[in-house]
Amino acid sequence: MNCIIIIEMGTDAVRVFAFDLSGNLISSSKGHYPTFHEQPDHSEQDPEQMFITMLYILKNLLNEKIYPKKYTVTCICFGSSMHSLLAVDKDGIPLGNAITWADNRGKKEAAELKQSGLGEEIYRATGTPIHPMSSLIKIAWMKNHEPEKFKQAQKFMPIKSYIIQQLTGDCVIDYSIASATGLMNIHKLTWDEAALEFAGITPQELPDLHPVFYSGVTLKKEYQRVLKLSPTVKILIGSSDGCLATLGAGVWENSMATITIEDSGAFRIIGDKIIEDPKQQIFNYLLTDKHIITGGPTSNGGVIFNWFAKQFGDFREAFDIDQSMEMLIEEAAGVEVGSGGLIFLPFLHGERAPIWNPNSRGCYFGVNIRHERKHFIRATIEGILYEMYSIGRTLEKHRHIESLSINGSFASIPFCTQIIADLFNKPVSTLNHADSIGKGAFLLSATEMGIYPSLEEASKTVTMHQTYLPNAENHKVYAQYFKVFESLITKVADEFDAISDLQQRYSQ
Amino acid sequence: MHFPHILEFTHKKNNTIQLNSFNSNVTDCICLYYILEGKFSWMIDLQQHTLYPGDFALVLPGQRIGGESGILNIGALFGLKISAEDCGKLLLGKWSGLSKKEKLSINQILLVNKQQLVLKLKEAQVLMYNLQLELQNEEVGFYTRVNQLLDELFVLISRQLIRQNNSRRDFPQTFLKLEQTLRQNLAHQWTVEEMAALTGMGTTAFTEKVKNYSGFSPLNYLINIRITEATKLLKKNEVNVTDIALSTGFYSSQHFSTTFKKLTGYTPSEFRKK
Repeated sequence: MNCIIIIEMGTDAVRVFAFDLSGNLISSSKGHYPTFHEQPDHSEQDPEQMFITMLYILKNLLNEKIYPKKYTVTCICFGSSMHSLLAVDKDGIPLGNAITWADNRGKKEAAELKQSGLGEEIYRATGTPIHPMSSLIKIAWMKNHEPEKFKQAQKFMPIKSYIIQQLTGDCVIDYSIASATGLMNIHKLTWDEAALEFAGITPQELPDLHPVFYSGVTLKKEYQRVLKLSPTVKILIGSSDGCLATLGAGVWENSMATITIEDSGAFRIIGDKIIEDPKQQIFNYLLTDKHIITGGPTSNGGVIFNWFAKQFGDFREAFDIDQSMEMLIEEAAGVEVGSGGLIFLPFLHGERAPIWNPNSRGCYFGVNIRHERKHFIRATIEGILYEMYSIGRTLEKHRHIESLSINGSFASIPFCTQIIADLFNKPVSTLNHADSIGKGAFLLSATEMGIYPSLEEASKTVTMHQTYLPNAENHKVYAQYFKVFESLITKVADEFDAISDLQQRYSQ
Repeated sequence: MHFPHILEFTHKKNNTIQLNSFNSNVTDCICLYYILEGKFSWMIDLQQHTLYPGDFALVLPGQRIGGESGILNIGALFGLKISAEDCGKLLLGKWSGLSKKEKLSINQILLVNKQQLVLKLKEAQVLMYNLQLELQNEEVGFYTRVNQLLDELFVLISRQLIRQNNSRRDFPQTFLKLEQTLRQNLAHQWTVEEMAALTGMGTTAFTEKVKNYSGFSPLNYLINIRITEATKLLKKNEVNVTDIALSTGFYSSQHFSTTFKKLTGYTPSEFRKK
């Protein structure tokens, strides 16, 4: 029996999935790697640790779960989170850690570029909003702040390219990951001259660009041997987490969108055209040159509820944070829709779409004397979801959307799913599989192998589990509170800058 | 002398301020202070601390302590000095009735947390009074009781340090701290018990939690970090393979070579040449 292996280099862990050729999950396994925050705005990971962790998890999964069941691996496909950046020297040795998407060190570089005409030109060409998350800004930051390291660097690549290079010796990048670097011209499918000039690099300093179906690399002999894989096993470079999750969510219809909320989150649609946004609020990433994933990301998803639980959760009875969060959800469910007029801005991590302001911060607004702890719990959850609604409305200016599918651990909490349905006033479906990224990568691989005639046909095999219908009464209440939420954000824009500046200056 | 390890035990009520009554000194023993009354301003390892009743200060061999401006403030306190063995490295000496493993764990906990010198530890008050009574009255069984009380005190301090540092609200944070501690001393032959003790959890719960969170058993996670660090050193091409093996915690270059090859398919020297 043949099987397909998916290797997903996620934000906090590598996940390895094994699917049979019909798309049934045989087994999966994860290995965590840490994120280091040496300075407040910094967020880094150790590339060697990520590689070793991946190798270990992959090897164990094969030996313990796949080979004993007599499966033969025919294809390995890669997925990964976007926007990471690693600089390596002339021998291919990493110059320090990889910088993750959550890193905001390039705040100043991003703000300056965004205000210039060049910023708009680069956004149009690359589809990536001008923000410290992008490789473009990270490289520019290194050029300005670590000139020695910048000079020593022979290549700049995302972590996924590094992992594939370790395994195969080739330095390659797929369209999906490349289109999220801020360096790729998504219209011409080449590295963008203006962006590279701003970053101060040449195309030779970047990996070779390939479509997501590219399989022209082979595993090094040592890894074939140690993983007991045949030399003919196909290595598919694959795509990014965002594009794969959209494919795996089965939202191929134009009138559908998908919401993902894990620690962070995104609202995404799929189409055959790049959507131009004069306000530069949305991204356009390439699944293929004919399948464009358009959407907006939030940095403030489940991670914010996690923060709330850590600070204010009840730990007298709860054994751990998960249990404490469950108790909080129960309490929140007992509070009226709209939390009695308490509104929460969830921007504890600054925010990306739609405001793209790293200086934005959190806020509870409208507190009155009757508000209790439970109102704060519900307001926190509603605030996170108002923000997702706000991103969704930005996309709705470009596309008529009738229904939604959701995935990710936070969005899939039934209490949250119902609020999403009420907020958007649209039916919301959950999926039959737990992990949309893994599923998407399977569909991609199976299409490449000819099991499905096209990605479109592949995505039709995704089935919905349960549909939450909107409550019109609740929607009416939410819509009124949302107006306040939205206007509040624009009104305190100057104060966001002021407080973030003071925080940087005075807090330790 | 019944207790050679107890260098000093004082219950002091200080009514006047005198110059040079508490000058800054590097200690060669373990100094423990429990504040009963008043407000004390001390410098411990160049850090300014203000101590109030119920506070407990712990100073380890090699650390510096003294009153601000060399003064002992007005108030009352217990002071206890205990000698350490093995040039200050073994904090709980032969007197202690704890098991060898427990002694090692407590040693680790105290050393790892030595920047966290002041604790809220009201429970220590009863212990200190009892210790005073036992030392004064020398009633039957006092020899065992005194050492038991000291053991109890160290256990109490260790648990409090862990409680202050590791909240069960935040296992990821606890785990990250553990990882940093392991990386700082990879050459040490860490046991699961030691790692669990650092997080303040029992061994079984710790193993379960780590497995669930990281996907690895604690020892496999450790091997993972060892190979990661070894990989970096191999790529640097400056250190020889045996030194890399030992500095990253493998028993020998043979042990390193086998483990490395089993995972990566390369022997360390092949990996270096590739």
